[in-house]
Amino acid sequence: MNVIDDNNLLMRKVNCKLDILSRPDGSVLLSQGDTVVIAGVYGPIEVKTQKMLINKASVETFYRPKSGTPGIGDRLYESIIQNICETSLVSALYPRSSIVVIIQEMQNYGGIISCAVNACCFALLNSGIDMKFLVASASCALDDKGVFHLDPDKLLSDKAKANFVFVFDNIAKRIIASHTSGSFNLAQYEEALELCKKACDAIFDFYKTKMKNEIANKV
Amino acid sequence: MPATVGDFVVPGDVIADLNSLNGVTLTGPGLHSHEEHNCLLVTRAGTLCFKSPNIYWVEGLQKRYYPKKGDLVVGIVTKKAGNIMKVDIGSSELACLPLLAFEGATKKQKPDLQVGDVVYARLLSAHREMESELVCVDSYYKAGKLGPLSSDGFVMTINLNFVNRLLDFNCPLLHTLGKKYVFEVAIGMNGKVWINSHNVNDTLNLMIALLAAEQESIDNVTKVCRQLM
Repeated sequence: MNVIDDNNLLMRKVNCKLDILSRPDGSVLLSQGDTVVIAGVYGPIEVKTQKMLINKASVETFYRPKSGTPGIGDRLYESIIQNICETSLVSALYPRSSIVVIIQEMQNYGGIISCAVNACCFALLNSGIDMKFLVASASCALDDKGVFHLDPDKLLSDKAKANFVFVFDNIAKRIIASHTSGSFNLAQYEEALELCKKACDAIFDFYKTKMKNEIANKV
Repeated sequence: MPATVGDFVVPGDVIADLNSLNGVTLTGPGLHSHEEHNCLLVTRAGTLCFKSPNIYWVEGLQKRYYPKKGDLVVGIVTKKAGNIMKVDIGSSELACLPLLAFEGATKKQKPDLQVGDVVYARLLSAHREMESELVCVDSYYKAGKLGPLSSDGFVMTINLNFVNRLLDFNCPLLHTLGKKYVFEVAIGMNGKVWINSHNVNDTLNLMIALLAAEQESIDNVTKVCRQLM
């Protein structure tokens, strides 16, 4: 399957701006199509005594919706992002401290989890915290006719029979996280997996080119 | 694909075929041991650098200061209890500075330092499991340039990458500023800079000059300095 040829299987345009906030150690504004998030990373910083871990850094994530206080759905995103951050960071290097990741949703037009995970990885990269590997996330939707749509917008994913979100690392493209909803069979799951894996390559390249420019200007 | 020296690397990249001296390879920030023999794992984004015969490191962005043994830092006294002061050096926790770690200090005669004062000190120990410890004397119990900094000066915070650039022997910025203004400066590896000159106007001008240079590339700074010299 070719990712470029088919119109269903095209990623929405990804854009980013690094260092948009002055106070956090790393920050990024990332947009995937019309979905936009801001991610900020503080760390390693002082930690409360109750949360202090003596062998590794405690990772705290906060997901803020557009308005109001975080609800149950937002807590789910928080825990997904927290698990991903904990796996990708070398937290053993920063014992007795904490790494705080804050995600602010700006616009949600589908694929918010993918966008948040990518923004989070970007912000961690920008802050200069040690990471074992990079992570990239892509989502896809399966519609009633059995056709896959890569990186669906809100309309497509609401109508879809099943939605998939995958997160991969950049070493051997192993799965870091997988989040699915709806009904599908094993063959469809595997097809979705392959589709997202291919899409993630583009995101890893995007990370690399953006960071290269950033570092060339600053160091 | 293994990365080579001079490449731009990101976390997850592997460096193979290391140069070692008597079986030893020295690694700086951003590099860690890999499962495979004679390989290193990159953990930060940046340019891979190598210094003969066996030193490797990654030159990248660093925002938050992480204490290292032997670093000279500018810190602000935030707490005072008995014979020990807690000093904010911008890292994840406060560093401790014993009042006896000053030149000529005894139990009866201690330096007069208050909360809010600024000190220029050296990191005696910086283990990640322990609180870092500062001293204001060298191994001969002499102060040298270390010790309390005058409260007439001005403290500003700059980027850690800019600190490395300022301290570079080839960087003409401080030298050029020195031609125009008479000033004292203490640059901490933690990104805090203390400046003092004869009048407030000069100090503020110096501050603005540093802030402006922070945003510019090395080449631009060097070019402007050459024109002024």
